[in-house]
Amino acid sequence: MFEATSILSLLALLLGLGLGYAAIRYRVEGNPLVDQIDAILPQTQCGQCDFPGCRPYAEAIAKGEAEINQCPPGGQEGVDALAELLNVETMPLNEEHGEPEPKRVAVVDEDVCIGCTLCIQACPVDAFVGSSKVMTTVIAQECTGCDLCIPVCPVDCIEMVEIKTTVRNYIPDIAELAHA
Amino acid sequence: MPNSAFKGGLKLENPFPAEEIDLIRIPLPDKVILPMQQRIGEQAKPIVGVGDHVLTGQVIATIDDELCAPVHASISGKVVAIDEQVMAHQSGLKAQCITIESDGQDDWVDTSIGCTEHYELCTPETIYNKIRVSGIVGMGGAGFPTHTKVQLAEGCHTLIVNATECEPGITCDASLMLAYPTKIIRGIEVLFHVSRAERAIIAIEDDKPEAIALLKKYCKNDRISIEEIPTKYTSGAEKILVKSLLGIEIPSGKFASDVGVLSLNVGTVVAIFDAVVENRPLISRAVTVAGGAVKVPKNFQVRLGASYDYLLSFTDFEEGKHKVSVAGMMMGIELKGTNYSITKNTNCIFVGIDEKSTPVKAKECIRCGLCNTVCPVDLLPQQLYWYSKGENIDKAVEYNLLDCIECGCCSYVCPSQIPLVNYYQFSKALYRQQVNEKEQNDKARDRFEFRELRLERNKRERAEMMEAKKKALKEKMASDKAQKNIIEAAVERVSSSKSDTKEQDGN
Repeated sequence: MFEATSILSLLALLLGLGLGYAAIRYRVEGNPLVDQIDAILPQTQCGQCDFPGCRPYAEAIAKGEAEINQCPPGGQEGVDALAELLNVETMPLNEEHGEPEPKRVAVVDEDVCIGCTLCIQACPVDAFVGSSKVMTTVIAQECTGCDLCIPVCPVDCIEMVEIKTTVRNYIPDIAELAHA
Repeated sequence: MPNSAFKGGLKLENPFPAEEIDLIRIPLPDKVILPMQQRIGEQAKPIVGVGDHVLTGQVIATIDDELCAPVHASISGKVVAIDEQVMAHQSGLKAQCITIESDGQDDWVDTSIGCTEHYELCTPETIYNKIRVSGIVGMGGAGFPTHTKVQLAEGCHTLIVNATECEPGITCDASLMLAYPTKIIRGIEVLFHVSRAERAIIAIEDDKPEAIALLKKYCKNDRISIEEIPTKYTSGAEKILVKSLLGIEIPSGKFASDVGVLSLNVGTVVAIFDAVVENRPLISRAVTVAGGAVKVPKNFQVRLGASYDYLLSFTDFEEGKHKVSVAGMMMGIELKGTNYSITKNTNCIFVGIDEKSTPVKAKECIRCGLCNTVCPVDLLPQQLYWYSKGENIDKAVEYNLLDCIECGCCSYVCPSQIPLVNYYQFSKALYRQQVNEKEQNDKARDRFEFRELRLERNKRERAEMMEAKKKALKEKMASDKAQKNIIEAAVERVSSSKSDTKEQDGN
């Protein structure tokens, strides 16, 4: 009787210690689900979802505080991908937040720019280069086309230009190949 | 020992057999249109303006990109336009081009400066640079910048000169070999000087006996051997050629340079000779013109940027409705009309009579597996087709989509006439876009997160600074108060002692 109790208690103690150690050793920092959701989001950082960026929106989805259909740049495909990840029913994109648009990039009319730096402060990805009272310009490769610089510009010198299809980024149309 | 047999591939009849394959030199074109976007690399930026007079061989556009070769004026004359022109590309899109109108003089830039005959005295770096500034790209059709390729293969052991010309109907390389056998041999000797290659193999398909005989006659260098390989389509694809000549299999995702082989097209070797020994940049190339509307196929040495129409005017060209394709019947693309210009990788133009037959509609795949048997790179075309059709790009890539050489054997044999290669091209383009997008997204995420971090840090630093200031002020006030107290105490003391003396005086 005593033997059996002591063996089992010892076993329980050892396993408990093992589990306790594993909990510390293999502790996962942050919520991995947030990272997975964030990986699907298009990283435009436009805030159309009513959150101040893609990661905050991902955190809200993970906590169940936001719907999965609030991201217009991700489009319906993005909603579907999120639904698949979270194993929920997919839903149509909520048009209250905006409609998906082709990818665009900000271009500054450099003759008009007064160097107020408001766009630099508004840009979520630091794609503007400039300083007080000097001309400002956009690093085209860094711009996500989020539109956040448009409303803050006092002289309306920023224009969103659609990215053109060139010989280099052309994708043949698969529909043309489809069968009769 | 060469083991020229490879799995798959096709034995194809030459659709346009020619009795003579001489290289015909034609007069200068009146006008050339030179595109800024070449097959690979960034788009070059023009460095001349409209109205400028340019000399033949003068650099007119360049950009600081390893994969972009500079563009040279191919005739002397006046730049009349820098605008958007339609490209000979399946998309039919426009891109920036420079148009030069000839002054009929063909005045060259100074070609006396450089390595000349005594290239042995130049360092390999000088010669790489010479190849780079001469704008040489792979002339077989891939258009990969040659200086990059040569530099990558610096420590290679074998040089392969690809003169197989396996696409049926194209004879421009054969005509080049008949016209310039010594240039080819001496071009190889230049390459011996810049690389550590011990030997060179000129690979020629056995349907070109004249070229083989001529090269054998002119080749006096025992490090150069001429190998005949059986005529079978895709024998000239780089990976397949390396395997059949040397028995080395190039792993997936690697290049010939990774296994110590430098493989160049025969036209590229001629261009290297011209650049290094004669100091002439790449401004012309050999082009085959053939097809039902041309009657007798011909090969022309033509300046880059000349129009297809200009070339066709030197053939027995039959007017009417045409079907135009460029770059061969297997790997080429169909074009609308003949209003395009010759580029560095235009090896042939086929112009056929359009019989106005209804376009062939593809039928459903019947899973016959013929495509699997002809694929020369051991892929599963049928499987790739399903994944491409379903836009399941990850899966297609898993099945080695990126190793597809787009040779077109699978499309050719497909009994349902499915344009399989077009599906793979679509998948590859989509894959490239996805990779690109992912890179962009990751960059945006990093920048956004860093910005958040920076704003947070600024806020914290500001708060800390304010705190420190407040503390300093408080301390100052406290010390001021202490000082004041001391003064007050002293004043008190003095005044009390004064009153004491007064009292004493009064006494």
